[in-house]
Amino acid sequence: MKGSSHHRSRKFLLAWVLIGAAALLIAFAPFPNLHRSPSDRFFRVEAGNFAYTPANLMVNPGDRVTIELVSTDVVHGMYIDGYDLDVQADPGQPQRLTFIADRAGMFRFRCSVTCGALHPFMIGKLHVGQNTLLWRGMGLAVLLGFAGIWMVRQDRNTINP
Amino acid sequence: MKKAERIARLFLFGLLLGLPAALIASRWYSQQISPGRFVEIHGRMPENGGWMPDEITARAGEPLHIRLTSDDVLHGFAIGQSDWPEVEVKPGQVSETTLTFAHPGTYTFYCTRWCGPNHWRMRGTIEVTGEGAAQVQSDQPLYLTLGIDIDAPHPAEIVPNRTPSAKRGAALGIEVPAGFREKGYIRRHSPVEFWRLLREAPFTLGLSDEQVWDLVAYAWISGTTPGATEQGRQLYAQNCAACHGEQGQGDGVLAPAPSSELHMEADHGLKSPPDFTDSASMLGASPALLQGKIVRGGMGTGMPYWGPILTEEQTWALVDYLWSFQFDR
Repeated sequence: MKGSSHHRSRKFLLAWVLIGAAALLIAFAPFPNLHRSPSDRFFRVEAGNFAYTPANLMVNPGDRVTIELVSTDVVHGMYIDGYDLDVQADPGQPQRLTFIADRAGMFRFRCSVTCGALHPFMIGKLHVGQNTLLWRGMGLAVLLGFAGIWMVRQDRNTINP
Repeated sequence: MKKAERIARLFLFGLLLGLPAALIASRWYSQQISPGRFVEIHGRMPENGGWMPDEITARAGEPLHIRLTSDDVLHGFAIGQSDWPEVEVKPGQVSETTLTFAHPGTYTFYCTRWCGPNHWRMRGTIEVTGEGAAQVQSDQPLYLTLGIDIDAPHPAEIVPNRTPSAKRGAALGIEVPAGFREKGYIRRHSPVEFWRLLREAPFTLGLSDEQVWDLVAYAWISGTTPGATEQGRQLYAQNCAACHGEQGQGDGVLAPAPSSELHMEADHGLKSPPDFTDSASMLGASPALLQGKIVRGGMGTGMPYWGPILTEEQTWALVDYLWSFQFDR
């Protein structure tokens, strides 16, 4: 009886160590580098009616990004958070912004010219690289699910041996 | 008791007289340190009232201090036909500028940033009074002197089959008589009229129709300077491209689209901008006619009245630039 309990607790500890190691791996393992060598990316972003089209720009880290801002109604701007870049475009005068996307992550860009009543809601996103936080979070959630199932089964085993 | 009452009376009396006196003195003092008039102008989208106030008076030679702020969106403030730098008018901020008008007259101030669909209607006037010679009046626009009806259609009966090129025209080695290459001549005639004239001239006998067109392009382009064309290009981008399109095709972002509500109301006077790349209408127009359209605006369209905003030199620079949609350099 005593030996069996000792055996069980050792098994328990091993399982927890395994789960912990897997969690650390998911959270901190370097992400596989899927993208190719940096390239030139061009986006024509239309700003009008308090929105950007397209509002989601996806690039890879190291890419040379050119954004052409075209206003379709009144003067609009584009300020990219994190990169501290600003450009303003009047209708009929598209303006370009070129930069190297050297910082990975998701950055919001917003209108930098007071353009009207809905000006504060005029925002879009610049995604540089993969959204690793999302993938890691999903991995951890799945791991947590498996750990939970395993624990419930363990409990059942202890109650009804 | 009596003494305290006297002091109170004296205090009240001093207050009643002293306050207005202090006010007058402080005004006088502020006039001494910065003389001139002070005006505060609020910018609003034209739908909500435009400039407030939109009529200002000033004295010639006296500084006019203007404090500008916006009640809604970004605006810009500039005086037409002048070199005063434009001032940005931002909501929640006050921009200050000081103007001194040397000559009496009526000056137009206008919004320089696209603040809304009726942005170009946002204008106001500054009435400058005083002694001395009036503001230098530019001559009557050429279209009025020539009596051109700028509202009439101006079709070109003959159009080239390829874009006429000034380079090819120059390469023909034919000397067009100098009188025909002068601005004074070119501005009064349409390319088609000039083409007919050249076609009948003896020195074009051996040339094809297309080669005569190249010659027209050569004469037209040699009447313009690269500097003026560049100035015209910038003015076009700033003021015209929003409706007329960056490539001059009348497809600017603010032009009424064929399916839009605005276009449905075409009977009520709204028309799409013309296509500057269309030879059939452009080559029948003389530079004087095009300049008239810029200066007067209207034509039953949303074309603004640029007369008080652009100088004569600027309007000619714009016309020079318009020909680049028809002729290659």
